[in-house]
Amino acid sequence: MHLHDLTIKKFHDGLLKKEFSAFDVAKGLFDFIEDKDKEIGAYLSLAKDTALKQAEKVDIAVAKQEPVDALAGVPLAIKDAILIEGQPATAGSKILENYRAAYDATVISKLKSVGAVFLGKTNLDEFAMGSSTENSAFKVTKNPHDLTRVPGGSSGGSAAAVAAHMAVAALGSDTGGSIRQPASLCGVVGLKTTYGAVSRHGLIAMASSLDQIGPIAKTVDDAALLFKAIAGKDQFDSTSVDAKYGPELTEPKLEDIKKMTIGVPSEYFVEGLDPAVSKAMEEAMAALKSLGIKFKEISLPHTKYALSCYYIIMPAEVSSNLARFDGIRYGVRGEGHGNLLDLYKKSKSHGFGAETKRRIILGTYVLSSGYYDAYYAKAQKVRRLIKNDFDEAFNPKNGGVDVIFTPVAPTPAFKIGEKTDDPLAMYLSDIFTLPVNLAGLPAVSIPVKQASNAQSRVLPVGFQLIGKPWREADILGIGHYYEQLH
Amino acid sequence: MSEITKKSLEHLADLARLELNAQEDEKFLADLKKILDHFQELQALNTDGVQPMTGGTESKNVFREDGATKSSISPDGVVEAFPEKEKHWLKVPPVF
Repeated sequence: MHLHDLTIKKFHDGLLKKEFSAFDVAKGLFDFIEDKDKEIGAYLSLAKDTALKQAEKVDIAVAKQEPVDALAGVPLAIKDAILIEGQPATAGSKILENYRAAYDATVISKLKSVGAVFLGKTNLDEFAMGSSTENSAFKVTKNPHDLTRVPGGSSGGSAAAVAAHMAVAALGSDTGGSIRQPASLCGVVGLKTTYGAVSRHGLIAMASSLDQIGPIAKTVDDAALLFKAIAGKDQFDSTSVDAKYGPELTEPKLEDIKKMTIGVPSEYFVEGLDPAVSKAMEEAMAALKSLGIKFKEISLPHTKYALSCYYIIMPAEVSSNLARFDGIRYGVRGEGHGNLLDLYKKSKSHGFGAETKRRIILGTYVLSSGYYDAYYAKAQKVRRLIKNDFDEAFNPKNGGVDVIFTPVAPTPAFKIGEKTDDPLAMYLSDIFTLPVNLAGLPAVSIPVKQASNAQSRVLPVGFQLIGKPWREADILGIGHYYEQLH
Repeated sequence: MSEITKKSLEHLADLARLELNAQEDEKFLADLKKILDHFQELQALNTDGVQPMTGGTESKNVFREDGATKSSISPDGVVEAFPEKEKHWLKVPPVF
């Protein structure tokens, strides 16, 4: 067994065939992380003792020939915005530097109930705000494919951990692209789920109408398995829905896939798209056509307004969600405070980084009286128009498509430091992913199989498949058959 | 409309309970101007009669039983997280 080759499926098979124990794999991974993470910086904290104990429990169950779940003993990395009771949960922020979670996120309880192993918590942009993981208060995570480049963000630690084989799979969260963009930049699979498919309880909230937790994995099949395990209605998140996911989610049928039509929106193939990305998109489309899938050009006319719309709605929600970090009940208190008001100010000013403050102020601005209608109310209407574009494109009455194909990000991984001084340039990294969050749709980022070139190393590029609400099975099904191609 | 001045920035920071230093003031002012300029493109878009999309979900009237819910939150963990405490009491500074 080689740790690098492990997927969730291979792990499960090997475990049942007793080729290795869950303990050995977890132990092997911790040894590997100890060495490898010095150069990558994917993890913020490790939970070695609890992870090894959990792995032993799974081994005992296997030895007793008790039935074990497909995720039992699977070593996972968890984005540090998702709570695991007793473990640190910093959200990449100084204000939560010493915080330990007092409860499990619903996704964590679900994964605990099937015996998954949590290796540790991964780095992220502070409160998931960023596209490069450079906004973390603690460290800069490097892209495993090129250490001078960013892994993307904000779930950059989770994507880098999976890409560098320091975890078999991971959880991230996606508000405007934070699972899909780092997955694309690191060459792994990332799934943003339909809004409401997965409970947000225990995810440190950034923008509640946009946030979703989802898997980051080495294969589409693994992403589907992990998604199935975390999906479902939860009493602690009233926006979560009991969507019925059938067997086609993990066992797609080729004859169903062949019948599909994929739409290609002209608005996503614009000038400014990196030539490497354009080339990769052509390769991916050619491969998908070889499966017998039809392609059709479509239009999503309000696409160009998505960035402005998103950067009004998201900060507005950020400014209210982050009000809770005031140094009172948890987190770091600012020093030298006088009265209560002073404590709030000192705690926030000391605890938050620049991008967080910028978004809080921007959100406060667009919500303030006099500007509310011009910005926030306007953006909510534009959000409807963006969603209508997708509804129209998917509408079967108008010969609508089943799935939409786009690039994930306009460029491959960029250099560390390249965009840190220009927030607007950084925001453009999510231009192809954030419309999906505004519309609440599922979308997956899948690495393009690129011809390798001996002279120059090829950076990973992902393509994005956007599905109809609750139709994760369509995008994962196409992804599954794409991965089988050679 | 997108006029943002040093004074209004300081007012916003105050509303958000933030203190900005001189360097942050200058940088944020320039960043916000640029970002707000970008937002101007929305004004050109006609949204008359468009129903605002006010959240991520189309679910309506999600009810639950009006009773206590069993929570998994560990009370000890919550107390443990207090930045300042005396025994199991949370300490806060005076309001005024």
